[in-house]
Amino acid sequence: MNLLARYNRITVISTLFILLLAAVGYYFLLHYVLINQLDEALKVEEVEIQDHIKRFNKLPEATVYKDQRIAFQETDQSVTRSFTSLQVFEPDENELEPSRRLVFPVEVNGKKYIASVTKSGEGTEQLVLIILFTTLTLIALLMVILFFANRFLMKKLWQPFRNTLSSIKEFNLTSPVNIPIQKTNITEFSELNESIRQMSQKVLKDYRSLKDFTDHASHEMQTPLAIINSKLDVLIQEPELSEKSMHQIQGIYDAIEKMSRLSTSLLLLTRIENNQFHETQPIKFDGLLNEKIVEWQEWIAARNLRIATKLEPLEVSMNKELAEVLIGNLFRNAISHSSGENILIQTGKHRLTISNPGKRSLDKEKIFDRFYKSDESEGSGLGLAIIQQICTHNNFRVRYEFGDGMHHFSVYFNN
Amino acid sequence: MKLLIIEDEKELAVSIMTYLRQEDYSCEVAQTYKEALGKIENWEYDCIILDITLPGGSGLRLLQNLREDKKSDGVIIISAKNSITDRIQGLKLGADDYLVKPFHLSELAARVAAIIRRKKHDGNNTIFFQEIKVDTLAKEVSVHDKMVDLTRREFQLLLYLIENKSKVVPKNALIDHLWNEEMGQGESFDFIYTHIKNLRKKLQQQGCNDYIKSVYGIGYKLTSK
Repeated sequence: MNLLARYNRITVISTLFILLLAAVGYYFLLHYVLINQLDEALKVEEVEIQDHIKRFNKLPEATVYKDQRIAFQETDQSVTRSFTSLQVFEPDENELEPSRRLVFPVEVNGKKYIASVTKSGEGTEQLVLIILFTTLTLIALLMVILFFANRFLMKKLWQPFRNTLSSIKEFNLTSPVNIPIQKTNITEFSELNESIRQMSQKVLKDYRSLKDFTDHASHEMQTPLAIINSKLDVLIQEPELSEKSMHQIQGIYDAIEKMSRLSTSLLLLTRIENNQFHETQPIKFDGLLNEKIVEWQEWIAARNLRIATKLEPLEVSMNKELAEVLIGNLFRNAISHSSGENILIQTGKHRLTISNPGKRSLDKEKIFDRFYKSDESEGSGLGLAIIQQICTHNNFRVRYEFGDGMHHFSVYFNN
Repeated sequence: MKLLIIEDEKELAVSIMTYLRQEDYSCEVAQTYKEALGKIENWEYDCIILDITLPGGSGLRLLQNLREDKKSDGVIIISAKNSITDRIQGLKLGADDYLVKPFHLSELAARVAAIIRRKKHDGNNTIFFQEIKVDTLAKEVSVHDKMVDLTRREFQLLLYLIENKSKVVPKNALIDHLWNEEMGQGESFDFIYTHIKNLRKKLQQQGCNDYIKSVYGIGYKLTSK
């Protein structure tokens, strides 16, 4: 339920409740006032009758005039003066009419009578009904107006909020743009906007500093590595070094290289995340693959691998550097982890698949995670993570499957 | 040949100097922006090895100054930053080459040699090592005026060894140089051996002495001794 519906529901129900309650109260109040008025009129009649008796010493004539009847009845009992409401049959209109009657004792020449004055209350009753009806109509009208006015007003009032919301929805950590905030005069919204602005700036700042940290850490690592490397390059020139020492040094060289590659890979990951590869151009993947096969033929031959290709033209618009990394990593992965000798490379419409023989399926869930390595792997554990990062960045999809004793890595370029 | 090493990491500067000094270069070191600026304004160098992050200023500013002054000293940037943008920026400002840290000193020596060769205007593209003559432009090698038919990789290998003559060149450096670090680690040690073997054979077939020495499995050394 949205805010408007909720608000409407509450206001409509409460207004309806209050107005109905007021209408009922109003009805009874009106009724009471009008009855009172009738009673006053009856009292005036009473006074007139008493006056008449005093002056002429006889009863006035019993009359039926319009909606007023006066009647007398002889009695020997004592009568108390009282007002009553009752229904009186009206022969003219052939129906019962609500009426008000005043009964009081009179005495003429020592004889006791009951005098009764009855006035029809139909007129007043109708008045009450008309007033009630008008009120109810007004209530209904008010409700409808209230409903639509609320709708319109709320929409208008909440527009800044909606604007802010859509800005937040478009907010993306990786594209370093502050949330565009529209100005509003409403204090609550401008407060909200201000907090969102501050929050987003803080988030962006933190995110940037986190990225910068990785960036700096990787960079800072390169210089000490360069120093170690250069020291070794100088050290191995010493003629008196033994074969044993040389072996130790070889170990250091390899470790440095591994470390350097690791930090290069980490840097690459951050740079993809940082959107630093925005320049795109059409890349012919079939051509690029053929180039790689030629370039790496010695390596392929040394590993006794055979490359079979089924290449259809495949052109994708993306960053050239990333395209090369993508192909390089996929291909290197296949070459390094083949348990058999046949590697199959296929391109189709919007699709690239590299398959290499393997013994069993790898963990589909984790295979693209950073630093995930199968037991046999000697790589950094970042190659596939980089592939995935490139695919995410370009809205491609990468998939791993195992079938027929082959690992299949596919990239779908059409998302 | 006169070189200027602009690098704030003293140890790295010292290593570079130690290594290159043995190759008939005279080396100077500047460790700060100011020191470097003074040197490049007052002297001329055949090649400047330039680090980008320096105390007191950016190496790129130095490069800009240098080119604005119409000085044609060769410049090779050594930087920890390896993005294409950084490279392009460096090269646009007039650097002749860009080498990413960490690097092997043999690679630096080869690049410096290449820059100096390019900067020389005497049109002489040949370098010699004993009876081996290498035409770096035509990519041809001859021994006693007899052509040696080498593959691209063998040529690169020989040139690299000559540029680092009398030095032990580690296998890792050779692999990086020949295959651009693209291959899996440890994968390519065997091909290096194969290429060296073929290179030796081809040179010897033309009556060349065997100057390529294997050094305890860590690398190779081209030496006349």
